Parts: sequence; structure tokens; C-alpha cells
Amino acid sequence: MKRTEIVEKLKDILLATDDRKRDAVAACTEASSLTYDLGFSSIGMLYMVIAIEEEFGIRFDGVGAADFRTLGDVVDYLEAKLP
Amino acid sequence: MTETKDLFRKYTDEATFARIVDMETVSEMWQRCLREFGGSVAIADDGKEYTYRQLEEDAGGFRTLLEQPEEGTRVAIFAANSYDFVKAYLAVVTAGCTAVIFPAHLDAAAVFGCCMMFGVKKLVYQRDFEERLAPVKERRPDITLIPADALCDEKTDMTACTGATPCAIVFTGGTTGRSKGALLSNAAVMQGTVNGCYGYADVFSQRYLLVLPLSHVFGLIRNLMTSLYTGSTLFICRNNKDMFRDIAVFRPTIMVMVPALAEMALTLSKRFGRNMLGDDLKVIICGAAPVSPFLIGEYDRIGVKLLAGYGLTESANLVSGNPESLAKPESVGLPYPHQELKIVNGELWLKGRNMMDGYVGAAEADAYEDGWFKTGDLARFDEEGYLYITGRIKEIIVLQSGENVSPAEVETAFNALPFVQDSQVFEDRSELGAQILALEVVLRPTELTDMEPEARKAYATAELEKVNRTLPPFQQVSKITIRDTDFQRSPAMKIVRYRYEKN
Repeated sequence: MKRTEIVEKLKDILLATDDRKRDAVAACTEASSLTYDLGFSSIGMLYMVIAIEEEFGIRFDGVGAADFRTLGDVVDYLEAKLP
Repeated sequence: MTETKDLFRKYTDEATFARIVDMETVSEMWQRCLREFGGSVAIADDGKEYTYRQLEEDAGGFRTLLEQPEEGTRVAIFAANSYDFVKAYLAVVTAGCTAVIFPAHLDAAAVFGCCMMFGVKKLVYQRDFEERLAPVKERRPDITLIPADALCDEKTDMTACTGATPCAIVFTGGTTGRSKGALLSNAAVMQGTVNGCYGYADVFSQRYLLVLPLSHVFGLIRNLMTSLYTGSTLFICRNNKDMFRDIAVFRPTIMVMVPALAEMALTLSKRFGRNMLGDDLKVIICGAAPVSPFLIGEYDRIGVKLLAGYGLTESANLVSGNPESLAKPESVGLPYPHQELKIVNGELWLKGRNMMDGYVGAAEADAYEDGWFKTGDLARFDEEGYLYITGRIKEIIVLQSGENVSPAEVETAFNALPFVQDSQVFEDRSELGAQILALEVVLRPTELTDMEPEARKAYATAELEKVNRTLPPFQQVSKITIRDTDFQRSPAMKIVRYRYEKN
């Protein structure tokens, strides 16, 4: 899967998390921090992980939410993991 | 006048209602559990199932390891959600000791500090937390350390105690300042446990899923204790990211959740076109943060009753619960029995059997007035006696995840830097509009004087950021600003705190 496709799919997942974040997600970039810019709480991060696992059909193994600082970090992980 | 308990009578059948009886101690409850539910599965964890009888076997052995402590001996439990936590907790409280519940995120210094602050004599720990015990081992060798997974063939019976015997110390952000412990008696814990049985039809022999931390009263009392009281099975979800896989296997009938989690489950269900919480789920008990009427309506549409409640650590969890969540979606419901509630200048004050016996580790004269506990929550009643929470007058910031942040506690970490004169942590919105914690700092004029103003700010920000990274994730601030001027001050020279104004 292309990097740009992953980013779009991720943004789509993030968009669904919380209506109050709609504008924030629409404006974010790969450099945006998940906690700082998007204000993701522990539950927001959990949502992201669960939705990614379902959507992309992968399992997050051996990594925790703390390993992902920016949206780009998640994309890096997925890019390496996906065929 | 109608007995408060009777207000809940119509929500279940007579036989079930008759089984909801008050109890004085956890030991009394546990003996009933063993008589009535001995062969039923009490806990399912990590691929194994443990009956009530098996749990008592293991707890009985664990009581032996406590070596006949005096009543009220403080025993810390430092473990993540697990069967071993449950076994240790039951053993400790049925031995007449007081369980001091340490949150699993505490670092080594905090573990040591809490042992000192709470007068801990014995500490039960999860083996992979052992390295965080180093300062305790070194400086307090008199504290007995017991691994949570320890077993002992020799059994010790439960100890007779009374409702007044201290049962648990549970951490709370409190009303101001650093975290402290709320001391809950056996009677308070049992009242909180029984309160969880009111207001819905199927109470006994249910299947509960545990996703909340047992270090929080909502997890410990409403989730674990009420599950045991009702002869239900508690399935322990070890990693919340596997929650929905666990649900598919375990098929819970009732769940205890914070609103953000209930909202997340709903959003995921819509996204993936199936009910992620499973078709067996009938009731969600929701609290610890405000519940939106939207959520109640959405769940009703898929046949799940979402019941909002209101509670505090200081009240052994539940104060009220709303059996009429559809008709009155903005209310937190009717007060449970054995309490008195009154509203003074808009603030809710409480008295009752479920209330704590005070804070441990901090003087809190401000918390009480004339024997009433002042909640810090603004509230009103409607003409039918339903309670509504309309705001907070104290400083605690409630995150959308239900986690409570005490600004003063977080500020203490930053104020330890020598160049920080004053700081303020407050709720804000990011540039992109999301809820965040922000920090503003006033630098001490006498420090870092050899730097140019911009370099001074950059250095201070970097140092503050280092401290920030050491905080538990939910306490970390997302924005750091170095002020050029002092904060606004009250006539008493106190910093006037920022208030986040909704819209």
C-alpha cells in the first residue's frame, strides 16, 4: 500500500473517533503529534489501534501507544508491516 | 416517606430485589458468596477459570502469607488487573487488613513515597514490577514484600471484623493538591457494592467484563465487588486493545465503562457494521465523567440500556444511578440508600454509610463542613428527586477519558525546577481544536540571568519538556508557554486559575 493511501486511510479512521476532532484531523499532517496536536487521550489512542487492526487486518505486537508520537510514526510502522 | 431503596424496586422482580441486602463487611459478603455460588466461576483470566471456591482456596493460602497481622495493618497491592490482584485483595481485606491500592503506573520514587505516606507494612507486588521496588528494598527493609502470584498450601481462616474496620485506601486526585488516599471502611465498600445492584432487571449470575483499572473505585467496587456480590463471572481483559476480541469470546451481559469508551465502542460498531459489544450485552453502567444523552439514545437503539451514575472515590463509588436514562437522559439519577444529600450554595454535600473516613496522607480540613463532605460539584434536584450535576467548582480537570487531573499535582512536578517561580496547568484546546492540557510558567527573575531572553525561554521550555516526559501520559501537558508577565492574582495574592469556558 502506498504511503499516501495509508495516510488517507488513517485520517479516515481518526476522523471517526470524535466529532470534536473533525477540524483537527482534517488539518493534520504526518508531522502532527497525536497527543499534542490532536489531543488524543489514552482512549483515543486505543481507538486508533483497534480500528487499525480491524481495518488493515494486522496486529500491533510488541509496541505500545507510547511508541507513536506523530501520525508519521504510525504510518512508518504500517508501511513496514503491510505487504 | 418512601424508603430510598424502594424507589428501585420496580426495576427488577421481587425475588431478585429480596436478595439485595445490606452487609457490614467484605468477609460477610464473601461467606455468602461461598455458600450460594461456590461452584460458579468467579474470575476468568488469562485463559483460566476460577470458581468462587477455588478463589477462596487461594485467598486462604495468601492470608497465611500475611502472617496474622493486626486488624487494620496496611498492605499495599501493586499489580495490574489480574486474578492475582483479586486473590490478594480478597485475602487482605478478609484478614482484617486495609488494602492500599497502588495504581500500576507509579514509578519507583512514587512507590517508595506512597509506602511512607500510607504507613504500609506489607507490599504485594506483581513480579514484573519488582524493579520499581528498589528504593523500598533499600531504605525500608522492614516492609514485607510478597509476590502477588505466591501460593501457600496452609490455609488461614477469615478474620472477624466490623463495618468500621478500614477496608481500603484508594487514590484520588482529591479536591486540591497532590494525590491522596481515601480511607474506606468495610461498611462503605459494602454499601458501594450493594448500590451497584439497583435499577436494572438482571442482577445476579451475570457475565461482567473488566476493562477499568482495579485501582479506581469504579473498577474495584462497581465492577469487581458487585460482580462477586451477585455471583457473577468477571472476565479480566488484560490488554484493552484486545477488548473486542475478548468480548467475542466471553459475551458479557453487563459492562462498566467510562463514557469515552462507550462512545468508542459505538463508533467502531458503526464503522465495521456490527455490534462490537456483542449481542448478549444488556446493560452498560456508565460514569466517572459526564454521559451525553446522545449516547444513551444510540445504545437504546441497539437494545442496550446505558445507565448513567454519579460517584466519587470519597463515596466508595456510586452516590446515585439513573434507572430512567431514556426519560431523563441528562440526570445522574436517584440517590442510593443510607445517604443524605443537600445542596448548599449550589454545591452538593454528602453524608452517609458509603462515605470515606477521611483522607490519608493529606490534611483536608476544607473537604468537610459540619460533618458533611463537600463534593466540589454543582448540582440540582428536579421535582421527582432526580439529581443533575451542572459543573465543578473545584480545580480537577476531567479528561474525556474519565481520567482526573489535579492541576496542582502536575504543577508540583514543574515547580521543582529551580528557575520556575510559578506555574499553572489548565484545560485548553489545541490549534486544531482538541481538548489538551496546557502549562504556563513564570520564570524566577534571579535564575538563568546569563542568557538572552529568547535563549532563556528556549532552555526553560526544553527543561520543562524533560519533566513533562516523566509524567504519566494522562498528566502530560501538550503546550508549554513561558509568560513575560505574572499571572493574574486574587486579593489574597493567589493565582487566579484559568477556567476553560465551553463555547
